[in-house]
Amino acid sequence: MTDDAGSKGSKGSKGSKDSKADRENSETGYEHLAPLFEQMAALDENDPDRAELRNKLVTGHLPLAEHIAARFSNRGVPREDLVQVATLGLINAVDRFQPDRGTDFLSFAVPTVMGEVRRHFRDASWSMHVPRRLKELNLAINSASAELSQRLGRAPTPSELARHLDLSQEQVYEGLEAGNAYHSMSLDEALSPDVDSDSLGEQLGETDTALDGVDDYESLRPLIERLPERERMILTLRFFRHMTQTQIADRIGISQMHVSRLLARTLEQLREGMLSDED
Amino acid sequence: MSVEDGDSSPDEIELRLGAELTNLPIIRSLTSSIAMRADYDLDAIADMKLAVDEACSTLITRAAPNAALSCVFKVSKDEIRFVVSTRSTSDGRPSNDSFGWRVLTTLTDHADSWVEPDGGQHLVHIEVAKRRADGPA
Repeated sequence: MTDDAGSKGSKGSKGSKDSKADRENSETGYEHLAPLFEQMAALDENDPDRAELRNKLVTGHLPLAEHIAARFSNRGVPREDLVQVATLGLINAVDRFQPDRGTDFLSFAVPTVMGEVRRHFRDASWSMHVPRRLKELNLAINSASAELSQRLGRAPTPSELARHLDLSQEQVYEGLEAGNAYHSMSLDEALSPDVDSDSLGEQLGETDTALDGVDDYESLRPLIERLPERERMILTLRFFRHMTQTQIADRIGISQMHVSRLLARTLEQLREGMLSDED
Repeated sequence: MSVEDGDSSPDEIELRLGAELTNLPIIRSLTSSIAMRADYDLDAIADMKLAVDEACSTLITRAAPNAALSCVFKVSKDEIRFVVSTRSTSDGRPSNDSFGWRVLTTLTDHADSWVEPDGGQHLVHIEVAKRRADGPA
């Protein structure tokens, strides 16, 4: 869904034909969508029609997300990123909106979407400040690291990277640190589809048995189950299969640095979840 | 365990800060810097960061109000050793059967915890060590 919504979003930034036509017929251009919320609310959680209605609602309201994104443009964050964040906010708004509460969707959605965009500015503020040189350095290190890992059969060290890239070790340190500062999750990530679950099926049963000896198993299990599939897979491979981050990166097809960030975030979520569980 | 003792070995690095989760990024970036400069491979650097994160989070949640968190790194030829300590009102040792402990033992080569009395309260410590991988010259 997200790919679909995303590409339409960026193309239609100047107001798509659809939304123009809608506007001629009504005040905000979204009135015709309102009944869909009630239809969706009436459907069962698992009804396949729900997904379709949800998709229609998100796609139909895309001009709203684009409009809000445009208000924040020219502030150093790429426009496509803003549209994606706003779209993410819109999706959240569609999911959370309750038509029976008496408010209309727009007055609910606008603050939600704006909040999402503002949060992005806060979280991603480094992306405005990390110099291009460092970002490029970080990219170069990332691809050198993938290449060297292949050759060495393990992750390279900073000195090996320096030799390979003909850089000083200090430069490599700088580049690696820029990677740490990289805003923790890019939006493509938040919106990217899950890993295919075929490869996953075999892993998950194993998590259960592997967790047998763990005394906080009962509180942990629902938290692990709630993780996105890819995060759960990375967690399983690292802590129950004892694969290294480089091996996991290779297996899943993302960079080691990315695995590192996902793993750090997952562990943090589990810790937070366990804490709130104790309260 | 602190500066007042005066002595330190040249390969010892100590960081002392409030036992607050908001301080974790500082500890994390120091860890990364230390492991990078010790020329650990990228997997080991990432593992060390996650382990330090885990150990510190565990202690921060047990820390008495306004307690300090002391982080000591010892870098030697073969390993990086990290000891984190804080004051707690409870004398409970971090559980060795928890998932958090599994995280520590998976990510490092050595993990230990102990508690000692400190006035009316208790000092809780977690220690982890990560050896240099055999690979690089």
